[in-house]
Amino acid sequence: MRKDTARDFSDGRSRRPPRGDAMTSDLTAGFGERAVGFGERAEGFGERAAASSVAFEGVTKSYGPVTAIEDLTLEARGGELLVLLGPSGCGKTTALRLVAGLEDPTSGTVRIGDQVVNYVDAKDRDVAMVFQSYALYPHLSVGRNIEFPLRARQVPAPERRQLVATVAESLRLEQLLDRRPAQLSGGQRQRVALARAIVRRPRAFLMDEPLSNLDAQLRVEMRAELVELHTRLGITILYVTHDQVEAMTMGQRIAILNEGVLQQLDTPEAVYDRPANAFVAGFVGSPPMNVIRGRPVAEGDAPYVAVPGGRVGLSPPLARAVEDRYLSEVLVGLRPEALSLDPNGTIGAVVSVVELIGHEQHVALRLPGGQLVWVRTGSDAPRMRTGEDVKIAARGAVHLFDPQSGKRIDADPQSVERAGTGSL
Amino acid sequence: MGARRRARGAHARRHPRSRTRRQVVAAYLFVLPALVAFGVFVFYPLVKTAYLGFFTTPPAPNLPSHYVGLSQYRSVLSSSDFRDSLWRTVQFVLYTVPAGIVLGIGLAVLANQRLAGIRIFRTIYSSTVATSAAVASVIFFTLLNPQVGLLSYWLGRKGGSGVLQSSSLALPAVSVVTIWQNIGLTFILMSAALQSVPDDLLEAARVDGASSWRRFRSVTIPLLSPMIFFATIVGIIGGFQSFGQIHILTQGGPNNHTLLLIYDIYKQAFQYDNTGYAAVLSVALFAILLLLTFVQFWFFQRRVFYAR
Repeated sequence: MRKDTARDFSDGRSRRPPRGDAMTSDLTAGFGERAVGFGERAEGFGERAAASSVAFEGVTKSYGPVTAIEDLTLEARGGELLVLLGPSGCGKTTALRLVAGLEDPTSGTVRIGDQVVNYVDAKDRDVAMVFQSYALYPHLSVGRNIEFPLRARQVPAPERRQLVATVAESLRLEQLLDRRPAQLSGGQRQRVALARAIVRRPRAFLMDEPLSNLDAQLRVEMRAELVELHTRLGITILYVTHDQVEAMTMGQRIAILNEGVLQQLDTPEAVYDRPANAFVAGFVGSPPMNVIRGRPVAEGDAPYVAVPGGRVGLSPPLARAVEDRYLSEVLVGLRPEALSLDPNGTIGAVVSVVELIGHEQHVALRLPGGQLVWVRTGSDAPRMRTGEDVKIAARGAVHLFDPQSGKRIDADPQSVERAGTGSL
Repeated sequence: MGARRRARGAHARRHPRSRTRRQVVAAYLFVLPALVAFGVFVFYPLVKTAYLGFFTTPPAPNLPSHYVGLSQYRSVLSSSDFRDSLWRTVQFVLYTVPAGIVLGIGLAVLANQRLAGIRIFRTIYSSTVATSAAVASVIFFTLLNPQVGLLSYWLGRKGGSGVLQSSSLALPAVSVVTIWQNIGLTFILMSAALQSVPDDLLEAARVDGASSWRRFRSVTIPLLSPMIFFATIVGIIGGFQSFGQIHILTQGGPNNHTLLLIYDIYKQAFQYDNTGYAAVLSVALFAILLLLTFVQFWFFQRRVFYAR
């Protein structure tokens, strides 16, 4: 039913370009139908380059005294969608530019497939890049924009026309080929930028926050679109974002960077369930994981960590791991969904802010020391009032981190099957 | 009825376009000083010049001038003297404008490199802006002096006939001086335009596989084109108004070979006291420049579509 509505909108396109939901669901519908055609053609010129792996081997990049990337070793496998995630200034865009050839590494090796590309000029690297700004050529029509990389590579005109037509069809851009970028909406520009990247079947795709200039709804649609495109074309994508939701939903693996240093490289599930350190724990998840400083107490068979306002129980194996390290303090990581408001809880706190988000509530509570702790509850839970005294119970996984290094503390794998799981 | 009219009045007052009498008076008071200045120094001379074109100049001072209507316009504008000086002016523009712009872009590209000390070159390249046409002309007049001029020496003409005295070389020589004098402005314009070319476009082109020449031709030049057009129009207008270098270097000679339209006007008016004739030429020059200005206005209105 909903698809029908979208079709009706698309029929009226000649009069008024459809926008928002109507356009994107129509777009998705079109993709399904046309995917086969593109796939066939894609194989036709796929012989030029297969999806290559992209690897950093001990790469450092400094600008004078500032180190943007420090000893980065990382590989995106052929055909993989690898997300580089991190806060702004963490070096993720620099990493992308190193692969593109727009920056030269200070030391280390950048490899695309089997080729070391350190000394290969950007124009000869055969990778495509989608810029945050889209970087469409404002003086060229959409068709000419898409054609540009083919012209630059001296692809003969008939082949050029055919490739542009195929890609334009697959991204629903046929109607827009004669327009200038300035006449397009954000989503349309985004698709032109994608088309320009896809058209020559490069060895790898580099995407620098490609969705950050779109409005929220379109961003969600394009996210799915990109994942679909990746699956369909079997291409290698190195995808840079600071948005952890984007990273979690799109990446096959996520590489989290902070201050130029790789923090963790793993699947979205593993990054979420077993963050390698306190930084990753605090960066991934929304609201982020609560990280509270506390003092481990070994009290018979009920060990716990004393935190401001109460205690968090530890499983005996985890407590033993803490004990083995002779730590007098630890960082306790608790996801908001691992906490609940419970009169029998073990931590006392005061309600500070209540955010009602449709199906759930995010409650910010202040511990006696002043730290804020987020708790996620169902929307059917009773509404809290600001200033109310409550008790928090930890029900899910308890993560522990070394307060000095920030590194994760795991229970000895022999003594417990599922490491890192504590219970009350 | 009255209430309705009052309501309409209130509505009109709220509308931003409609103004009260007081506001209109105040507005004109504000523009009055500018209007007076323009009136005295621009509009009145303009009308007076066009008017003078209707009178022939008497053969001797103190004799009455004759009203001849449009016939003087007809005869002067169809004369070969006018056509010659107009053609020389066009030649002068063709010598100076394209070469000046190509050089300006070239220097701007060079100075746009990220190199240590590049600012020194930027300063040098733009320094001719601070030089008046008179100063530039005197410098080149000395350099081109057949006896002591360095340029004459380099050109192998030392002791021979001067470049400025050669009927074939005088106009090119004056053009070179003009190019040199204009290069600073062109350089500044092109540098500004070049710096407004977004880096990510050039990077995108690089990743797209474009060679440096292709990036320049297919990305940089198209994005510079509005500024190139602007510099061209300004250059043409400037060319039509070039006076100082002619006056100092050649006075229109040798044998009228550097007699550009504006210098012709000057000579007719102030050397031959032929005001009627000069007035006609002035009106012609005014019409040409007006046309060029309209072309420029038209272009800059169209250019809105060009913006991202």
